[in-house]
Amino acid sequence: MQSLSVSIVDAPLAANTATRSLAGAGAVVVFDGVVRSLEGARSITGLRYETYDPMAQHVLTALAQEALDKFGLMEIHVEHSRGLVAAGECSFRLRIASPHRREALDAMDWFIDRMKQDAPIWKTPEFSTDGDAPPPANPVQPEPEAKVPS
Amino acid sequence: MRVDVLLFGPIAQRAGRASVPVEVAEDGATLAHVRAELNRIEPELARDLASCRLAVNHAFAGENTQIQTGDEIAVIGFVSGG
Repeated sequence: MQSLSVSIVDAPLAANTATRSLAGAGAVVVFDGVVRSLEGARSITGLRYETYDPMAQHVLTALAQEALDKFGLMEIHVEHSRGLVAAGECSFRLRIASPHRREALDAMDWFIDRMKQDAPIWKTPEFSTDGDAPPPANPVQPEPEAKVPS
Repeated sequence: MRVDVLLFGPIAQRAGRASVPVEVAEDGATLAHVRAELNRIEPELARDLASCRLAVNHAFAGENTQIQTGDEIAVIGFVSGG
């Protein structure tokens, strides 16, 4: 049986505590997207996420369903923050379970690439007010760091 | 008919508002007509709008998509989730 969920929640995501093992799963992969403390050479206090909620929910659910079918997954669960997420905190989590690791790892890459193309979510850095130079006119958005548990 | 086109992210910041009211024909209006009106109303955004996609009722839609009264139309610029 397949399982899918998508949730968009205010502020940072809580620590991942899901330890349940799924019968038949040989791989459970969890990606935590964590806000970095630097944008280029400038420090930031966090990222502010804006979401177009109904469409983001629709797009993420469609991508999750496509990933389930395309990679033969058993589970896919998506969580994304809206609002301010401080540096060091988690703004995006993807949990995938599959019979073998290859499908889970391939699906992880595929889903994140597609989300970054199509999910209507925007982030704006909140710069530290510690005397740094003013922000550039068109700041480059930092990518969250990946934390994949071994 | 009047449709309020939703703006988000950097394009909303540049426009200084979260939606733009647009008037299009009651019958036969398409997203191409909506885009043309947006360019006319917000000419300083035309260059940015050219690289944006449009969505109708929470799904991306092509320029030839006919719109109906009550449709929710949004401009989706470069996204940056994750």
